[in-house]
Amino acid sequence: MATTVSNPLAELTDELRRILGHEGVLSNHSELVVYECDGFVIEKNCPDVVAFPQTTAAVAEVVRLANRLDVPIVPRGAGTSLAGGCLPVGGGIMLVLTRMKAIEEINLRDRYAVVQPGVVNAWLNQALRGTGFHYAPDPSSQGACTIGGNVATNSGGPHTLKYGVTVNHVLGLEAVTADGRIVRLGGPCEDSPGLDLVGGLVGSEGTLVVVTKVWVRLTRDPQGWRTMLAIYDSIDDATNSISEIIGAGIIPAALEMMDHGILVGVEQAYRLGFPLDAQAVLLIEVDGLEAGLDAQRDQIVELCRKCNAREVRQAKDAKERQLLWKARKQAFGAVGRLAPSYCTQDGVVPRTKLPHILRRITEIGAKYDIRIVNVFHAGDGNIHPILLFDERDREQIGRVLKASEEILDECLACGGSVTGEHGIGVEKIGFMRKMFNEDDLAVMERYRQAFNPRGRLSPAKMLPTAGACGIEQKHPGRRAAL
Amino acid sequence: MHHAERDDYTAARRGVRSTLAEYPGDEGMKVDDLLPVKTIHAPTDPAAVVDIVRDCIASRTPIYPIGGGAALDFGLPAKTPGVGLSLAGLSRVIDYPARDMTVTVEAGIRINDLQKLLAIERQRLPIDAPQADQATLGGIIATNTSGPRRYANGTLRDYAIGISAVDGHGTTFKAGGRVVKNVAGYDFCKLLTGSLGTLAVITQVTLKVKPIPERSAVVVTPFRDVNHAESLLNTVSQSRTAPAAIELLVGPAWKNDPALGDLLPGQRGFIAVGLEGTEPEVRWMIATLIEELSSVGNARSLPAVAGGVPEAPSDVATSTRPTERHRGRSLQSDAREVATAETDALWQRLTEFPATGDAPLTLKVSVPPSYVIAMVELILAADPNCSIQSHAGNGIIVARFAEFSSTAFSKVLIGGLQPAAQRYAGSVTVLRAANPAELTHQAAWGNLGDSAMLMEAVKRQFDPHGLFNPGRFVYFAQ
Repeated sequence: MATTVSNPLAELTDELRRILGHEGVLSNHSELVVYECDGFVIEKNCPDVVAFPQTTAAVAEVVRLANRLDVPIVPRGAGTSLAGGCLPVGGGIMLVLTRMKAIEEINLRDRYAVVQPGVVNAWLNQALRGTGFHYAPDPSSQGACTIGGNVATNSGGPHTLKYGVTVNHVLGLEAVTADGRIVRLGGPCEDSPGLDLVGGLVGSEGTLVVVTKVWVRLTRDPQGWRTMLAIYDSIDDATNSISEIIGAGIIPAALEMMDHGILVGVEQAYRLGFPLDAQAVLLIEVDGLEAGLDAQRDQIVELCRKCNAREVRQAKDAKERQLLWKARKQAFGAVGRLAPSYCTQDGVVPRTKLPHILRRITEIGAKYDIRIVNVFHAGDGNIHPILLFDERDREQIGRVLKASEEILDECLACGGSVTGEHGIGVEKIGFMRKMFNEDDLAVMERYRQAFNPRGRLSPAKMLPTAGACGIEQKHPGRRAAL
Repeated sequence: MHHAERDDYTAARRGVRSTLAEYPGDEGMKVDDLLPVKTIHAPTDPAAVVDIVRDCIASRTPIYPIGGGAALDFGLPAKTPGVGLSLAGLSRVIDYPARDMTVTVEAGIRINDLQKLLAIERQRLPIDAPQADQATLGGIIATNTSGPRRYANGTLRDYAIGISAVDGHGTTFKAGGRVVKNVAGYDFCKLLTGSLGTLAVITQVTLKVKPIPERSAVVVTPFRDVNHAESLLNTVSQSRTAPAAIELLVGPAWKNDPALGDLLPGQRGFIAVGLEGTEPEVRWMIATLIEELSSVGNARSLPAVAGGVPEAPSDVATSTRPTERHRGRSLQSDAREVATAETDALWQRLTEFPATGDAPLTLKVSVPPSYVIAMVELILAADPNCSIQSHAGNGIIVARFAEFSSTAFSKVLIGGLQPAAQRYAGSVTVLRAANPAELTHQAAWGNLGDSAMLMEAVKRQFDPHGLFNPGRFVYFAQ
């Protein structure tokens, strides 16, 4: 006999404990607070209960329970979303998948691995070390973020320029539908008959199904690398170099840019010997067959010099390569030296518009009297301007929010996007109407209806429809990572 | 406006052509044989597409979208009378910012015309499409066409980054955008790729493109038996080189091929490995691959397959696993580079294979790559004279039967090849059948399992009246 049926929350918690056991459910307020937000800390809301299923069958049972009791469900991986993808807007059940963390199969002959959604991105590559294969998508949070979360947001990373984003590496999914059925879409084979629902579900931010297993494509390790650091006296020269390199038919494995502002912080923190008067540096890496790498390196060096690079440094060995990457990877750690608080944006422009958008970012920073520094994936036009401020100053916060919005509006005016890899979540929901018209959104809403007709999965996310009019931002994020 | 005037006006605007004879430049299309349509609308602007779709919705008239007409016989035969909607008149180039390596074009552009445009900037869409002078971009997206180079380059889903289309509500919508990295909104580029025009009529597409490699070459080696073939494929899959294509070629279509050479007695077929890159890269890869292939079957042990490779099911595939059978035998591999003068023509034949000839049945099989040989054996057991091309690195097999009686659909396909492929989590579908009238849903598409209900739910949202390409795709199995 069910206990305390008069209290719906108690019934929910009791039923979840029945399915998942005591250790699989959190319901004390002090425990729930941990799950009130993800990497996007502007808005917070506690879930009513947190559930930790360990099997697909348990996920299905929890989803069916949520249907019976009419409560929302928000799937969550490691909670590294920078866009509030895991914010439990309407409360309900937070379905945390981090205990489904087995790598079920690694098959090198057929170039795939099967992982549960809670497998941390970096774990898979640790398991693959020495096999000659790797899993290509490498978001900078890869030490913490889960592959299930990567699937939900279609994560990118520095190497997406050459290797593509998550969706290009997902072969199949097992998922629990909104009505609690278990389905398998795709799998170890390519070209499954029928609609490409795998492609249609990756990047759907938990609004369509709960992913419980992922078949990922494995990629051969490159034979070698050449890593260069080009130093410039002007930002335009640096961005022109990017255009020249790619225009010459070279697709680097990574092409990252840092501007003067971030360089100063990096140099103060790590003393890597960057000239403090440099306006920009490009970190350029090509990978592939040894037979072609020297020629590509020489061509890149020549193109950078043609674009007035003051100096092009080359890593002579693996140790020097690590040193060059250190500046890029730890750039965010150095931001703390520049200001008490910061927030970052995730706009995209066609890469030929980089000189324009960087000039506009400087102008927008001046207009609102906000210092902005830049470190980003230049090769694919994915900018991450970092707005520096002091969160104790309410008036400054208002200017940061206005400057952020103006930068993203400018990305759209350039024919770009307001998010390259972080997702819409709740943060960017207000921009959906700027990127898409009512008809586009109506078709997306109908598509969501096909999977999630009652709207119980991740309500109020991604689409600016009823109940998700966008959260008014009062406060920019304190913490962010690229 | 008088009624007659309005008809004239709309007819002119939409480019209605009431008979095939008036249809421009597609004499070989045979629409009248393949589609139950008396009228083909050939609009030349996207607004007219919307008008036509809305009119058809109002009168509940089925719509058969037509690209270049290269794949109208793909899928189940169309039976419900309706109208054709040719997109060939929508072929404008909207924007080609070459330095951004993207191009935005209308869906009716011919693949050859698109590739010629891109070649001016030394770029290409690295998708091998047969009948490229006829096939349109919208058509190859709708059919998810691919070819040998998918091993290195992926398929169309990896290149379509923005799409505009008209759905079965008469709504024009877009998804994605014009930048290479973008996660805003649902990804309808992927959803529409391979949807056979059953969700929406694609009107415009933005593609990511790639540089044309400096050099392209093919290394070919004959194989003797299934063990030898699997050993060679296993070696190629772990090669130090980076192949662009891994092809397994068996059957009459490849005999006397000027590029591949003749098979000697005891040789069963060829493995052809495509290599693309800079001149020094390709030179190195040719030499390295020939060396790697030459050691296969010799005294040295085969490269170990690490990790959790599952055991092959004992009924079929055991004999295809790399074994020690060749140990101690001196079996010289005959791997060699295809003559440069022959290379382009060979790529062409590899691309055209699925659409060449008048086979009574052309199948597409998808299995994990390690089961390709086992499936090839099963296909050859059904028809020893079958011509086979496998994109072996991707586990895709295209089989052109020499002989096939339409009464054999249930025995050979439904009772034989489909369950065999399903044991390996794979599938068998029909690309083309001479007697499509006999083709059943199960024979054409196989068993879609529990994904079918989700596909049907999506279909109902996009096309609630069931007007786009009715009866031809995977939905609503009887």
